[in-house]
Amino acid sequence: MKRIIFILPLLLLLISCEVEGDLTRDVELTSPIPENTPPLATGNFMPTSGIKVTGSAKIYLNGNQSEVRLEDFSVSSGPDLKVYLSKNDTPLEFVNLGNLTSSTVYSIPTQVNVSAYKYVLIHCQQYSHLFAVAQLSQN
Amino acid sequence: MKKLLLIIAFGMFSNSYAQGCSDAGICSIGNSFQTTDKESKNGIEAGAIFGTGEADVTYISPYLTYTRTINERLSLSSKITYSVASGSFGQRGAFGDAFLIGNYNWKPKSHTQWSSLLGLKIPFTSSNLKINEFSLPLDYQSSLGTFDLIAGLNLNYKKWDFNTAVQIPVFNNNKNSYFREFSNTDDFPSTNLFERKSDALFRTTYTFQTTTKKFTFKPNVLFIYHLGEDSFENAFGQRETIKNSDGLTINGNIIGAYTINTKNSIELSLATPFLVREVRPDGLTRGFTAGIIYKVSF
Repeated sequence: MKRIIFILPLLLLLISCEVEGDLTRDVELTSPIPENTPPLATGNFMPTSGIKVTGSAKIYLNGNQSEVRLEDFSVSSGPDLKVYLSKNDTPLEFVNLGNLTSSTVYSIPTQVNVSAYKYVLIHCQQYSHLFAVAQLSQN
Repeated sequence: MKKLLLIIAFGMFSNSYAQGCSDAGICSIGNSFQTTDKESKNGIEAGAIFGTGEADVTYISPYLTYTRTINERLSLSSKITYSVASGSFGQRGAFGDAFLIGNYNWKPKSHTQWSSLLGLKIPFTSSNLKINEFSLPLDYQSSLGTFDLIAGLNLNYKKWDFNTAVQIPVFNNNKNSYFREFSNTDDFPSTNLFERKSDALFRTTYTFQTTTKKFTFKPNVLFIYHLGEDSFENAFGQRETIKNSDGLTINGNIIGAYTINTKNSIELSLATPFLVREVRPDGLTRGFTAGIIYKVSF
């Protein structure tokens, strides 16, 4: 009995909850674009089955850096949502621009030929489930 | 004497090693060759290991093991691990893996005893823990997210133990999404949708006791060979090999065990690597580890 009393706290220690502190590393900040800069392409998001989404994706050239900006955007929550710049409306040939976060700006790698990509996707990578698609049209 | 052997056996059940193999599973595998004596059918071990990792990451990794002796030849063990990593990204902790291992002792000969083991590692996470939606490198993950097969063989000769084992990922559920290019640091390589190769281990342990047999010391050397280069999916959806992530690691480890009585013992373990692989994306590398472990049989 004494042993059980001794071991029980150790067991409880092991079965403690997950620990998630605050992010202490600086996230890369993007520079603002001048007002009245026209987007290179725009598209409104359309949801896939069972998903709610609003807003649009716009591609801007900010200096030498192309970037995707999400405007008036919201989407159903998902566990591992990514922003993809894609050649198709499904994630077959794409560029992963990173996690969908509270940020609205996603930089596109400089080696990417932006004009070859016609879609912005919101995709759950962990469960391989497509959430939303924005078909881009040139402005 | 049997009871003493039991304590010694427990004393060897879990070590802390400085360079991980796969979630530290294979590193402590040699201990699973040891079984409890005939008098005590059950053993519980609780330990906590402090370690320093890559860059500025530090770890506290508690675990709990239960061993059941089925008969004089066969025993079964289960182990649950937990890990909290702290570093420049912040602090993240979660359950790691469950290990289920069966150990069989072959018929002993005059000075030698062979034993073998077979086991599984089952991950509790898919290795994609985040902080504030920010993906973290494998160094901050409590598990690699792989289901592994573990097989090993041990030869005990007088005061020497020679272990060899393999840990083979048989099903990969790693969903990590860390990219170096999104993180503002080069400390950790990209490990998006990481795929890991197998490990092979060889360890030699020498055991000696003080004359009172209250203290046992077990210096040992552990060789781990990572049998191939790991890979990840780059930002363009292409699988990319992580160059120089294969190769040899050599660790030194010293264990000191104090036998409280026939049923209880406490153990300290210190370890550090002498040789490491050039690239170590799995986050298992430790610059130094120190562990304290309590063991009880009943």
